[in-house]
Amino acid sequence: MIIFDSSTLILLAKVELLKEIARQLEVVIPREVERESTVKNTFDAKLIKKLIEDGKIRVAKVRGKKGKKKLTDDFNIGEGEVSALLLARDKDFPLATDDGPTIKACKILDVKFTTAIHFLIGTYEKGILSKDMALVKLEKLKKYGRYSSRIIDNAFRRIKGG
Amino acid sequence: MNVMSLRLEKREMELIEEMAKKEGKDKSTITRQLIGYGLTYLMLRLYREGRLSLEKVAKELDLSISETIDLLSEFGIKAPIDYDDYLKGYEVLKEAL
Repeated sequence: MIIFDSSTLILLAKVELLKEIARQLEVVIPREVERESTVKNTFDAKLIKKLIEDGKIRVAKVRGKKGKKKLTDDFNIGEGEVSALLLARDKDFPLATDDGPTIKACKILDVKFTTAIHFLIGTYEKGILSKDMALVKLEKLKKYGRYSSRIIDNAFRRIKGG
Repeated sequence: MNVMSLRLEKREMELIEEMAKKEGKDKSTITRQLIGYGLTYLMLRLYREGRLSLEKVAKELDLSISETIDLLSEFGIKAPIDYDDYLKGYEVLKEAL
């Protein structure tokens, strides 16, 4: 099981990898993340909505209003990001996030984290994606994920050389 | 709409007048546009420095998170994710998949 915040969920939807990830893993999101990632009629919002309706993404309720407020203030992160962080910490599962301040919070709270580019490398290494398809998706992730050139170069080597 | 009076430098006033003339709009519209651009610039800078989360930027700019990702991508703003975070994340996913 992996808990997602909106950043990674939307990125994977934008590069059309989310459906495959939801097939491989149990994807869980807090209600706040569901709300903010399906708010408009974009392609990614429609895809996320459909995966939730089909039961491929599970929506969970996060309790602890006080805890949420404290984390929001301490780390300057939003409601959805805090809820995903709390859910990951309470269930002791990794958090998928591409947000800098949320990653910092993960390090302080000892929550394991991963990002969208890792799902791409992981699905390629497991043989779920072909090399050509993985490289096409890496190009898209370069655009939307805006990773540093060092990260992109490393991911490129892992795919191209594998 | 609310009314607010403010003092401007001569150069700022000239700039607004020039822009209003060029774009065929009134000075109030141009000033509001410039405030909007300034707010966007400030939010993008705070995000780049890792001082604001994606969700907070989206909220401040009254955009969805998806639209904010598109905006960051349009301006080529790098995600504040370090290389060592990337290496750690790789190990985590290897265990999970």
